[in-house]
Amino acid sequence: MNLSAADISPPDSPGQTDHRFIVETDRLCKSYGRQQALADVTLQVPPGTIGLLGPNGAGKSTLIKCLLNLTSPTSGSARVLGRDIRVWNRASREKVGYSPELDSHISGMVGCEYVTYCGQLSGMSFRHARQRAHEILDLVGMGQERYRSIDTYSTGMRQRAKLAQALVHDPAVIFLDEPTNGLDPSGRENILRLIGSLRRELGTSVVISSHLLHDIERICDRVIIIAHGRLLEHDSIEALKNRHRRIVELAPAAETGRYLAMLTQAGLEVERLSNGRLRVESASDSIEWVLELMRTHNLPPAEVVTNPNALHELFVRALAIGPNRT
Amino acid sequence: MSPSLDLSRWREAPKGVGYRRWTIISSGLRHLLRTRLFITLLFMAWTAGFLIAAFGFLLSQSIATGGWLETAATHMGPRVEAVVTAIGGFIVLFPDIIIGGFFTLVFWLHSFLGLGLCLVALTVMVPRLIASDRASNALTIYLSRPLTSADYLLGKLGMIVGVLLLLWTGPLVFGWVLGMLLSPDRDFIVYSFLPFLHALTFNGIALVVLAATALGVSALSRTSSPTVILWMVLWIFAGAVAKFPLAPVWLRRVSFSHNLSEVRMTVFRLDTALADASASLPLLTEQMGDSLRKAALSAQAHDFNGAMMGLGVLTVLSSVVFLRKLRPE
Repeated sequence: MNLSAADISPPDSPGQTDHRFIVETDRLCKSYGRQQALADVTLQVPPGTIGLLGPNGAGKSTLIKCLLNLTSPTSGSARVLGRDIRVWNRASREKVGYSPELDSHISGMVGCEYVTYCGQLSGMSFRHARQRAHEILDLVGMGQERYRSIDTYSTGMRQRAKLAQALVHDPAVIFLDEPTNGLDPSGRENILRLIGSLRRELGTSVVISSHLLHDIERICDRVIIIAHGRLLEHDSIEALKNRHRRIVELAPAAETGRYLAMLTQAGLEVERLSNGRLRVESASDSIEWVLELMRTHNLPPAEVVTNPNALHELFVRALAIGPNRT
Repeated sequence: MSPSLDLSRWREAPKGVGYRRWTIISSGLRHLLRTRLFITLLFMAWTAGFLIAAFGFLLSQSIATGGWLETAATHMGPRVEAVVTAIGGFIVLFPDIIIGGFFTLVFWLHSFLGLGLCLVALTVMVPRLIASDRASNALTIYLSRPLTSADYLLGKLGMIVGVLLLLWTGPLVFGWVLGMLLSPDRDFIVYSFLPFLHALTFNGIALVVLAATALGVSALSRTSSPTVILWMVLWIFAGAVAKFPLAPVWLRRVSFSHNLSEVRMTVFRLDTALADASASLPLLTEQMGDSLRKAALSAQAHDFNGAMMGLGVLTVLSSVVFLRKLRPE
């Protein structure tokens, strides 16, 4: 049998980062003894900012570790940026960054030396790695601390250093495992903004594992929900919201009583929330009917929020599903 | 507001795996070179290298025709001149015994210094090989890059090889090459080459054993103190026990320093050099001949096969340990 060049070389050249799917898995399984951490996970994840959701022990970290070949899948196959992780072990991680959940660093180095070293380990020349290291450390909000030994860093600073080492080699995709753990509120806000802008400004896809639903909803355009090692949901946030109960919350500027009466009169079941908002289940995706009602009854303006906690509801529903779901 | 990502882009082809392995090696050695102890060891090692060259130069200049010894002897009367001429004659008649014997002795002595310096350096280095990486979960950082556990291991192995090259092999080769460059004729190169090869052979065996043992010890624990203590136990305590006259043979074979001593005696063949000298050199008194024969007997290895077996078992066990512990937790 004759092999063509495409058979014996990686499917893309360095620098080429346009992929239809950043991650593809086919019936990926991982077992630790009798415990199944991942069961038949089949995914095709397009580029974007993707949230990986699931309760503790759901298999989120195991999935990321399998994709990075940090742990060997028991069965099934996986491709990252079009490269089969088993066939192209090293090459499959060339344009991939990873910030692990656990505190991980190379001790005995100062911050900028550490990030530079990580760049070199990814194949960057010292000059390029050094330059990128300083730029990334600026970006993650590390000032003069970069010249201190990484062993003396606080949890927040280590979190920033982890993010910096994941980004230093300009990856096409980064896997972030609980990247905001241990950060103070302003640091968390900065890092979330940074993560949110990676796809938009650099074209870097992000797979972020977190249990903070609000963060995921804010920065991600797609969500993968895993529980008991099984894939429960994978879709865009927009589509997921629309697939579930269509909840509309109204926060009237005034005359809440009239709003309540009007909605009840329209035959809707209205729930009055403790924050003063009115919550109703909508029959359609559109909120035109609300605006029409407001116009007809000449009601004062109100803030209208559709599917305010859709992700939360979805997540809670996923938790309620037992391990034996098929 | 989103932050402005004013970044330079890196779109070059990544450098090869050889470069990445070299990055691990050079970074480890650079960190070691920052310590005062290692610089001191380096100074001692290279002073020894210069001394080898100096001894070679002195020997060649002392006994070669027209050398400083012969010139000086002409001013010291006919008796001294006769002795010096006789020594010169010995060289011509027994170059293998005089030159070979001299260099065997020098390299044999240097092997003690080289091995000792390496063992001290490895005591400092052992916790930094794998133990500290395991403690700080650094393996995850390494293996999430385009590196495999074999690359990581080769990098760490390269660090040990680097230390041995800097403290032992490097000065040895440098001393011999410089000594030979300064020697007046080819005989010195020809007859010192075999002892030099013996020295390199012993160096290679020690390198394999020390590298595997150091990696194994380093992989056993996550913290610095137990790693250093275990290394010291294997090196000093087991070595001292092996020297105890009543120690059983199997216990002696546990000590890698004892086993390396046995290997050293066999590889350098100092006993053969001394026995040859006592049997072949004329003008030696009976007493001098007896002394050489006794020295030859004491320089003889007693348990070479057992020592090699002991070193083999230690190397295999250590390799099993670090290979098992290498996956990130």
